[in-house]
Amino acid sequence: MTAFILKRLGFSVITLFAVLTIVFFIVRILPGDPAVAILGDQATEASLAALRMRLGLDVPLYQQYVDFMGGVVVGDWGTSMVSGRPVIMEILKVLPSTIELTLASLVLGAVVGIPIGVWSAVRRNKLPDYIARIGSLLGLSFPAFVSAVLLLLFFSIQLRWFPVISSGHGSSLSDRLRDIALPAINLGLIMAAYITRVARSAMLEVLNQDYVRTARAKGLAFSIIIWRHCLRNAMIPVVTVVGLYLGILIGNSVLTEIVFNRPGLGKLIVGALNQRDYTMLQGMMVIYTLIVVLVNLITDLTYGLIDPRIKYS
Amino acid sequence: MKTRTGIVLASVLFAGNALAAGTTLNVGMAGADAGKLDPHVATSTLDKGLLHWMFNGLVRIKPGEASPAFIEPDIAKAWSSSEDGLTWTFELRDDVECHGDYGKIDAEDVVYSLNRSANPDISAFAKDYAAFESVEATGPLEVTIQLKNKVPSLLGLLVPYHGGNIVCKDAVEALGEDYQRLPIGTGPFMFAEYEPQQYVKLVANPDYFRGEPKLKEIFYRYIPSDSSRDLAFQAGEIDMIYGKQEQTWVERIKKVPGTKVVVMTPGEMSVIHLNMTMPPLDDIRVRKAIAYTLDRDLMVQFKGPDVTLAAISPVPEGHLGYTGDVPQYPHSIEKAKELLTEAGYPDGVTIKAIHTTLPGMLSTMEAVQAELREAGINLEIQTVEHATFHEQIRKDMSQVVHYAAARFPVADVYLSQFFHSDATVGTESAVANFSHCAAADKEIEEARVEGDSEKQLALWADAQQKIMEEVCAVPLIQSMQLWAWKDTLDLGTEVHGSLNLSPPVTEMSNFTE
Repeated sequence: MTAFILKRLGFSVITLFAVLTIVFFIVRILPGDPAVAILGDQATEASLAALRMRLGLDVPLYQQYVDFMGGVVVGDWGTSMVSGRPVIMEILKVLPSTIELTLASLVLGAVVGIPIGVWSAVRRNKLPDYIARIGSLLGLSFPAFVSAVLLLLFFSIQLRWFPVISSGHGSSLSDRLRDIALPAINLGLIMAAYITRVARSAMLEVLNQDYVRTARAKGLAFSIIIWRHCLRNAMIPVVTVVGLYLGILIGNSVLTEIVFNRPGLGKLIVGALNQRDYTMLQGMMVIYTLIVVLVNLITDLTYGLIDPRIKYS
Repeated sequence: MKTRTGIVLASVLFAGNALAAGTTLNVGMAGADAGKLDPHVATSTLDKGLLHWMFNGLVRIKPGEASPAFIEPDIAKAWSSSEDGLTWTFELRDDVECHGDYGKIDAEDVVYSLNRSANPDISAFAKDYAAFESVEATGPLEVTIQLKNKVPSLLGLLVPYHGGNIVCKDAVEALGEDYQRLPIGTGPFMFAEYEPQQYVKLVANPDYFRGEPKLKEIFYRYIPSDSSRDLAFQAGEIDMIYGKQEQTWVERIKKVPGTKVVVMTPGEMSVIHLNMTMPPLDDIRVRKAIAYTLDRDLMVQFKGPDVTLAAISPVPEGHLGYTGDVPQYPHSIEKAKELLTEAGYPDGVTIKAIHTTLPGMLSTMEAVQAELREAGINLEIQTVEHATFHEQIRKDMSQVVHYAAARFPVADVYLSQFFHSDATVGTESAVANFSHCAAADKEIEEARVEGDSEKQLALWADAQQKIMEEVCAVPLIQSMQLWAWKDTLDLGTEVHGSLNLSPPVTEMSNFTE
């Protein structure tokens, strides 16, 4: 087990290194000059040159690359070219908000998606199955920003249950819950639709297994068969999907964060891209890569918990 | 009733900080986050609007107006200039306090501020102050500015806009790098807190020299999504919002009960610059054909008559030095086709434009494309992301450039930046002369140093006529600034315009309910 984790971490370091190298060069190939983005369209060449020097953009590219990589190794991700604050501080400031939103929608997705998926598989080709299948298709095909605005219109404007924009300075639990409710529902519904489909097909497969037939023949109650015997076996594909999807979810949070005006990684990366904030973009990629690598590792380890037959070597 | 529910709701939502509803102003701004908060570096609309409420200049334009005709004292209580207009002396008030514990403003602070504005290593506006020979403290409360040559509107450079903001020397020196996120000024509101991607909080400056502000707090919230901003306003969570430059926005937001929609000058002027060095645009007949084809009135209808003005001269209407008396090319497809045939293009021409993907600007360009097609002019639009657009048009890569900009409202600024050959893109001293226009260099230069204001106006008028004769560019429309706020919010002044592109929130502003 330990050897497995160490090996995986070794691979992760290589992945991280490759991603960062690619990102470093792609960011610099992008047209658009950070100095112009910062100083605006009336700045003189002299001002622009002075700023480029301050930002360290006047040294040769390989030097910038070496500096950047060296920095990452020792945990110094540089300072944002736009705000002048350390990149890592800016990211850490908004990271909890993104993680909170992602986890909340994940929990919501699982709580809604797994029972519906199971129910749909058990009642295969009956009305509940059709409803669940159409519902999940709808959830998957509905653009997140449209559902976001609809949620706002209904729950915030019509019913006035939740604020349109997060107050940003309410730190009490009830304030936080009110702030996160709609964004979490918005992302959670997409997640639920996804999980429903996977849970359904995994469950269908399990239901056809011999041991299920044996259990039924023994006269075991159907609900016990489903919840005690089948569910656990059907969960492996679900966990895989959730693991894979978590990365996508963090990406999807961009639109949700913007519409619901929540701080987060999504908003940060869009701003950094618009302003050609090279250092910030690099820092964001470090974080995104770390998250994906970590989530994959956790996913792999979770398999063992669900299915003791899986061995790590 | 609905408004009241909104206010109650808002105060519940913001409980803890704003129990004193009625003294807290919530502003919803279009943008994801603050950029630079150093007034000599901040160039974006969303940053300079915020800074507007924290800083003073030596002089200011009367709140609610945007024209230099309304200049009045600010930190300086009186001023005089020498006969040749090259020496200006300003006498300062003695009661202007810096925010925090940085003491009173004196001549040293003013000298420091103006030298900082003129320093290209720090300031984004250094070019505007290039004519300053020296700025000296000639007394504890007296500053003398010596100019190398005459400046069309010296006082205009000293209003709290761009480099004209007066900073506190001790604060800048004490804070160093931190100054760019801890703006210390002298204005009615003081910087209090910044929450990334969320808001900047300002509080009233109790020692403000014009009196303590009636509003106690301002939350300047960053809300990038247009629909969320509008919905937040509708729900009463926001008191004042930045609008979209669209007719439909005005119509929609007007329907929110208790709302005041305000259209402010200066507008952003959209101009189609024609690169006169690239064929077929090197032929004046082709440029004229384009001018005859573009129908401004149609453009105004398209963009919305309440929010748009037709542009006639290359200088926006309302700027000091503007004239409407320029060669015009009334819409005529026939005339355009004739000119094209004469120029040797009976079957039409194809011209190319690099353009931004920003929706507002792109839709204007697409309308231009549709109009040009009628005369057989095929405008190929290559869209690129906004930062790329700015980079490529400055590298002289586009035949046609649609540029929208607002500048200090004196004719010289527009003429010098867009139509003087020194500003030609691709050169050392480039600014934004995308057309390579050199038609009025002499007039523009003479007007800059002309002491007689009548003659100066005449020179500027000549310049505008020559540029239009050469058809260096086709002025299209002016898109006005749009804001909306609750009608219970009284800004303390009639609002017609704002140079800083944000409503004048001053010590007078308050809620009437």
